[in-house]
Amino acid sequence: MSPNLLLADESTGSKLRRNLLAVAGTLLLMTTYTVLVITQPTDLTGGLGQGVALATFAAYLLSALLLLAAVLRDLPVSTLTLIPVALGLNILLGQFVGSVMVPLYLDSIGTVLVGFLAGRRAGAATGVLGTLIWSLFAPTVLPFAAGAALIGFLAGTAARFGAVRRVYLAPIAGLVSGVLVGTISAPVAAFVFGGTSGVGTGAVVAAFRSMGDSLLSAVTKQALISDPGDKAIVFLIAAMLVYALPSRMYQSYEFVRRYRVLGNLSGERD
Amino acid sequence: MDRFQRLHPFTVLAVAAAVVTTTTAAGRWWLSCTVLACALIVAWSVGKSVKLVGLSSAIVLPTFASQLMIHGLASNGKFGLTQVGLQTAAELGLRTAVLVVVGLLCALIVDRHQLVAAIDLSKAPAQLGYLVAATLLLIPQLADRQRAISEAQMLRQVKFRRGPRGWFQKIRLQAVPLVLSTLEESANRAPHLAARGFPAAQSVTRLREIPDSKAQRGIRRVSGLCALLLPALLLVPNWMDFA
Repeated sequence: MSPNLLLADESTGSKLRRNLLAVAGTLLLMTTYTVLVITQPTDLTGGLGQGVALATFAAYLLSALLLLAAVLRDLPVSTLTLIPVALGLNILLGQFVGSVMVPLYLDSIGTVLVGFLAGRRAGAATGVLGTLIWSLFAPTVLPFAAGAALIGFLAGTAARFGAVRRVYLAPIAGLVSGVLVGTISAPVAAFVFGGTSGVGTGAVVAAFRSMGDSLLSAVTKQALISDPGDKAIVFLIAAMLVYALPSRMYQSYEFVRRYRVLGNLSGERD
Repeated sequence: MDRFQRLHPFTVLAVAAAVVTTTTAAGRWWLSCTVLACALIVAWSVGKSVKLVGLSSAIVLPTFASQLMIHGLASNGKFGLTQVGLQTAAELGLRTAVLVVVGLLCALIVDRHQLVAAIDLSKAPAQLGYLVAATLLLIPQLADRQRAISEAQMLRQVKFRRGPRGWFQKIRLQAVPLVLSTLEESANRAPHLAARGFPAAQSVTRLREIPDSKAQRGIRRVSGLCALLLPALLLVPNWMDFA
């Protein structure tokens, strides 16, 4: 019999390896963040500053790749076909928002959509892959891969605990996610790029700096102004897009059925 | 076939990684400027210098402006131009410029089909090659579809309201058909892909050949070592002084 007709043989060893990769990725991310927040290097361009920039870049990117390696082999084929669509939507809807002059990013709608439909592992993988592919067009996004993974992970977690069952819960979950993502991503902006790469956000950081804030503090405050509102709207739009799907489509995702993501609409019949 | 098509995509990426990490660790303005000039010469030699300058400018110029505001104008509770601030802004801007220009040069000279084939032939999971290939193929298709939806809405003479309600109306009328149709397609594609035995348990035959050689494998190894060791060698003395 063809091996393709058999269910995949999952050994305990491979599961343990995947869990270890996920733990290693999370620990690396948390350790790097903690060290940077505690030490807060002030020298940005001297020998110490170059080392901090390289180490932060490498640690954030490596942690994202470890998380991707931990989840990629687990993803079912239905989720694998969904991820490229989500990545395309991230880019296209992000550009659409830019074209209507709304001062938001909204470049993670696809990632959140995958989190809502396929769970936190798929959401995290979409975030990392989206950043890797986007880096072909904008290399500066590469160290933000861990932040993008966190958005997908939090979207899946929120959906699992019922944030999509009521329309008003989705933006609240987005607001909380935005705070976490903004906080985690701030050291990359501060220590790798010395601030932000946009003129508008740069002006906000400059205003905080002129009030006496340290660079990390100013960038974190700017992120806490931009990210929660952005993610609240992204979560709301993604939830509304999920509501617009025909039931046979969202019922085809095991995560939606198993955790009753849409409440009574999505639950398995008893 | 231009000369870079004869290189394995991973060779180009490994050399680029070594150049970016070493230049960042060195932190010398003349080295950064030399790397930028070399990147422009390479782009010019393959006829992509205008594209490289255009794409890089869109990222580097706002970054320089941002650095100028953050470090040149405002620092330590004061607001005003200082020489130290301007120098910091210039050094940080150059550091970002090296990453952007070298990264975009790689994206311009590496053939995407070869990159996908190289990922497939490497030890990376089969899922990664599929996802990269499918995304790069889908993005232009989705852009075409979004244009068609927009034209259809215009033909229906849909009038958008002003303000936030109009914006949400635009999102609803343009994003919903796009998302529904693409999700429908992805749901239909999944059983066909599964029926063809994806992801394959063993290696599959590929018709596309990726140019590779012993010399290129050597260059990749040396570049990988340089990307790790050269920054360490350059930075350790500074860290020792600091300690």
